[in-house]
Amino acid sequence: MRATAQWLHKMAADSEPESEVFEITDFTTASEWERFISKVEEVLNDWKLIGVSSGKPLEKGVYTTGIWEEKSDEISFADFRFSITHHYLVQEASYKDGKEELVEDALPLSMQDLLCMDNDFPPRAHCLVRWYGLREFVVIAPAANNDAVLSESKCNLLLSSVSIALGNTGCQVPLFVQIHHKWRRMYVGECQGHGVRTDFEMVHLRKVPNQYTHLSGLLDIFKSKIGCPLTPLPPVSIAIRLTYVLQDWQQYFWPQQPPDIDALIGGEVGGLEFGKLPFGACEDPISELHLAATWPHLTEGIIVDNDVYSDLDPIQAPQWSVRIRKADNPQCLLGDFLTEFFKLCRRKESTDEILGRSTFEEDGKEVADITHALSKLTEPAPVPIHKLSVTNMVHSAKKKIRKHRGVDDSPLNIEVLNTIMLFLFPDAADKLTNGSEARPSTSRNNPPPESEEYNLYSQFKSAPSDSLTYKLALCLCMINFYHGGVKGVAHLWQEFVVEMRRRWEKNYLIPGLANGSPDLRCCLLHQKLQMLNCCIERKQARDEGKKTYTSDRSPSGSSCDTGKAVVRSGGDYQKETEKERGEVGKSWESWSDSEEEFFECLSDTEELKGNGQENGKKGTKEGSKESANLKPEGRLHPHGKLTLLHPGEPLYIPVTQEPAPMTEDLLEEQSEVLAKLGTSAEGAHLRARMQSACLLSDMESFKAANPGCCLEDFVRWYSPRDYIEEEVVDEEGNRVLKGELSARMKIPSNMWVEAWETAKPVPARRQRRLFDDTREAEKVLHYLAVQKPADLARHLLPCVIHAAVLKVKEEETLEDIASVKKIIKQIISHSSKVLRFPNPEDKKLEEIIAQIMSAEAIIARARSLKAKFGIEKCDQEEEKEDLERFVNCLLEQPEVSVIGAGRGPAGSIIHKLFVNAQRMTESSDEVATMTSLDEELKRSGSSDERRLNLGAVADFPPPAGRELILRITVPRPAPYSKPLPQRMYSVITKEDFRLAGAFSADTTFF
Amino acid sequence: MDEDILTTLKILIIGESGVGKSSLLLRFTDDTFDPELAATIGVDFKVKTISVDGNKAKLAIWDTAGQERFRTLTPSYYRGAQGVILVYDVTRRDTFLKLDNWLNELETYCTRNDIVKMLVGNKIDKENRAVDRNEGLKFARKHSMLFIEASAKTCDGVQCAFEELVEKIIQTPGLWESESQNRGVKLSNQEEGYGGRACGGYCSML
Ligand SMILES: Nc1nc2c(ncn2[C@@H]2O[C@H](COP(=O)(O)OP(=O)(O)O)[C@@H](O)[C@H]2O)c(=O)[nH]1
Ligand SMILES: [Mg+2]
Repeated sequence: MRATAQWLHKMAADSEPESEVFEITDFTTASEWERFISKVEEVLNDWKLIGVSSGKPLEKGVYTTGIWEEKSDEISFADFRFSITHHYLVQEASYKDGKEELVEDALPLSMQDLLCMDNDFPPRAHCLVRWYGLREFVVIAPAANNDAVLSESKCNLLLSSVSIALGNTGCQVPLFVQIHHKWRRMYVGECQGHGVRTDFEMVHLRKVPNQYTHLSGLLDIFKSKIGCPLTPLPPVSIAIRLTYVLQDWQQYFWPQQPPDIDALIGGEVGGLEFGKLPFGACEDPISELHLAATWPHLTEGIIVDNDVYSDLDPIQAPQWSVRIRKADNPQCLLGDFLTEFFKLCRRKESTDEILGRSTFEEDGKEVADITHALSKLTEPAPVPIHKLSVTNMVHSAKKKIRKHRGVDDSPLNIEVLNTIMLFLFPDAADKLTNGSEARPSTSRNNPPPESEEYNLYSQFKSAPSDSLTYKLALCLCMINFYHGGVKGVAHLWQEFVVEMRRRWEKNYLIPGLANGSPDLRCCLLHQKLQMLNCCIERKQARDEGKKTYTSDRSPSGSSCDTGKAVVRSGGDYQKETEKERGEVGKSWESWSDSEEEFFECLSDTEELKGNGQENGKKGTKEGSKESANLKPEGRLHPHGKLTLLHPGEPLYIPVTQEPAPMTEDLLEEQSEVLAKLGTSAEGAHLRARMQSACLLSDMESFKAANPGCCLEDFVRWYSPRDYIEEEVVDEEGNRVLKGELSARMKIPSNMWVEAWETAKPVPARRQRRLFDDTREAEKVLHYLAVQKPADLARHLLPCVIHAAVLKVKEEETLEDIASVKKIIKQIISHSSKVLRFPNPEDKKLEEIIAQIMSAEAIIARARSLKAKFGIEKCDQEEEKEDLERFVNCLLEQPEVSVIGAGRGPAGSIIHKLFVNAQRMTESSDEVATMTSLDEELKRSGSSDERRLNLGAVADFPPPAGRELILRITVPRPAPYSKPLPQRMYSVITKEDFRLAGAFSADTTFF
Repeated sequence: MDEDILTTLKILIIGESGVGKSSLLLRFTDDTFDPELAATIGVDFKVKTISVDGNKAKLAIWDTAGQERFRTLTPSYYRGAQGVILVYDVTRRDTFLKLDNWLNELETYCTRNDIVKMLVGNKIDKENRAVDRNEGLKFARKHSMLFIEASAKTCDGVQCAFEELVEKIIQTPGLWESESQNRGVKLSNQEEGYGGRACGGYCSML
């Protein structure tokens, strides 16, 4: 057999006896073998790898900058499955296809590539690219990961198949077979051209034999492998790369201390920053620095490197390049916070189960007092409140708890709890200091800033960053992490719910929520809280209505009385509304006149029946005479200059009921109900009827405000386009405007007419409430009470993600890292797709969290590197900028070359880092300081001098990797053969030794 | 029967009252025109399955009343809609001038920013046109909407309006399929390049 056999044999000797993996398959059956070969040929054909290969000479560094692709297929030898894969550098099409100037007997591209020196030691590439410098190759390997071709005979059989397939097809792309266990990365292969062939062979050993540890020994084996008959041989060209690893720098630099959380809680209430998320790594996110010192173009004889002496001093190497090794998943604070909070989503327990019922229910009243800790701060108390300090409150509460249970059983430390409650409900503190009534939250009056960042909540479906909900999310996140995990969460939530109920019962608005109906762009929990606030507002308004109205109340429905039946006007006439302001006072008299009736008859319209019935029975026009005598009620203001069609009185816009605020789940329910009615005429009718409550209420208000009115009047206000006016000429020949209802309004007994006939003249304040605030508030409170910690975590996860993104953004601006900017953009667009849908999949949420964590890790790495390279300390502006650029490259590129190698600014810092680490390992004296070393380096000047004092400690550790590439072009096998490229790559590391040879031979004249 | 339905799409019809929203919908679903159609109260709802490019889509179409007072009810129906048809009456300029308000409302309540919008100028069968076709076209272009003129009465453009809207929705990635939520999103370690390949052949030296 060929030389390969010998090499393989070596390798086999080195490996321990291993079980044959595919004993069952009989590889020797001729037909199976032939079938295998033809399948290989078929695939090569399909991939168009047949015939002369072409391409332009490789550009320098193109293996790193270019794009690599691969194509795979599966073939089998009997029932043993192989994958066959084509790996290739993507090249411009013109070179691939343009076969114009092909020289028939040119060397295959791959053979030319063996000699190319412009892409040695690519930072990241397939190992065969690194070993052989190939731009394109095909690999046949066992398909299953733990399958392997082990026996020598089988290896040879495969190799022969390859050889035959190449020969039959004329394919010039090298074809490899992977043998032995996959982790050994053993390949043998072949490349064929016109009258030429290259054999790819390999040796892989656990330990390097002594004679191969240096250049001279490797040159010997290379020459003997070539076995070239020429004497003397032309000089061998050599490329060398030594890699040094720096590991021990943590000792000098600890990226960041974990924040001292206890200090946060300890002191003043104001000092606590519960609304902030922590950030940064708890361990060094950069684990190693690899320095590669490269001699790219050496010629045999120029340098000496043997077992006793070496010229290879890394300081002298013409090229330096550096890569960093990142710690896998360094522990980072923000990531930990998120991960822990996300874990809450999977907890099954209810709040009661976690806290144990006894704490809050069994023990009855006294304990309930404590859970209302905050209520004491806000409730009007007979004792002047300013005399009570928070700590007083807390202490007495603590004592009470102690009576019932051991103090440590309380899931949340009462001080922490109080601090959080004051953070969430700052109005309680206002009250504490003023002794006056809590104001309805300060932020309510401030219009939200319109910044893009602020509006992130609508993309995340979270809540505004100054809202109660958002703050609650951050508090729960912190409690979950630092204060008792799920127990603490359950406890705070319970307190929160108690506080919500208290506010409802005591009529205190909840702070930190925007006015008005629930904001459907926010998370459901936020909407629920807003809903509760709507209820409180309306209840407040009702209760205040009971007190005598004072004249200074603004009639325009400012925020303080939004709970009242509220101003609504036809939008078309908004402008007139403004103009009429002056007259408004008048209508308000009628409002306050009958104030008492407002509450007497809230949900009782019985007594009005007699009043409205006769009105309804008579048609739209006739009934007006009698009702005209009724006293008008509930007028808001006149509607422009419009007058009623019949009595000629001004047409008044009535005070109407505000429509019911809705949360998205209620809306969903409602639209489902409406949709279920189906699309039949009946269904449509029912649907309209169900929604006509508001129409009816408005009609009643309108009738009350405009005695003697008719449907036409109502329509002119409510749906003006359904009142059609035309100029006509009357009997006397005058042009007059004549109006009538639109055709669709005139349809007999259509729902508008029906409703009009049913409507009684009742002002809004005496109507049945369209919105039952008591019922809705109780629904919300119940909803809140049954939320488990897991539900809560799911509700609030968008807020926590939102906060985390803002935190990453904030930290990024300090560092200015392009890749993090990109990730942030991705996170935002990813999140806005995932979070806006109900019940996002856990997998997708995990992905978002992982993205945030990766952004945090990148920033932490940047900070670690900046500290290591002393960028902050660097006082020369230009040098500082260079260093910064260098550090950024380190973060983003697999490998960065050091300008000026060991003599440039970055190079000398790296040198120092190594020297320090060496000192550290030699003398276990940990006090060795940077400064003294600096001076020493300055003094010692050139490295030559240093070499002289080398007696003590070497600047660099022994290289962790030695790579050599030897190349030559010589005729083989005979002196008269064609001169062909020969190449051998060798690498020595701690764990293994590998030789990868490519030896070409002329096949024509042999 | 439901098996070959690709997706269910939620579509909303909005615009001032009386512009012909309900009539357009009725024309589309039942291919009739009913001059006696009652004014909508609140929202109404119809379903129709159509086939676009060989894909069957079930449309759940919500028709809204245009009156100011009913608008407080409708924002909920904006939620989750994939497409919206905004209608004005080519014979009533005021309904055209109100379009900006409707777009604002849409922006406020719609939960997604990639919703597909179609502008329809209705009642082109009538003689007293008050809005030129070019004006509608210009408005639509300014707000990246599809545009068509139609008549619920004569059937002009109605089918086409709905079909184009659906086609556009189906072509918009991420708007209708749930799996596509993830499309185009690359995960954190994308910069690792070859690192994670199964082959094991890719390596840095050490
Ligand atoms: N001439 C004509 N009239 C129409 C057309 N579409 C609707 N209408 C009429 O316009 C009025 C209002 O229509 P409707 O569909 O109820 O409007 P909506 O309030 O927007 O739903 C009705 O009287 C319809 O008959 C149309 O294309 N041409
Ligand atoms: Mg309608």
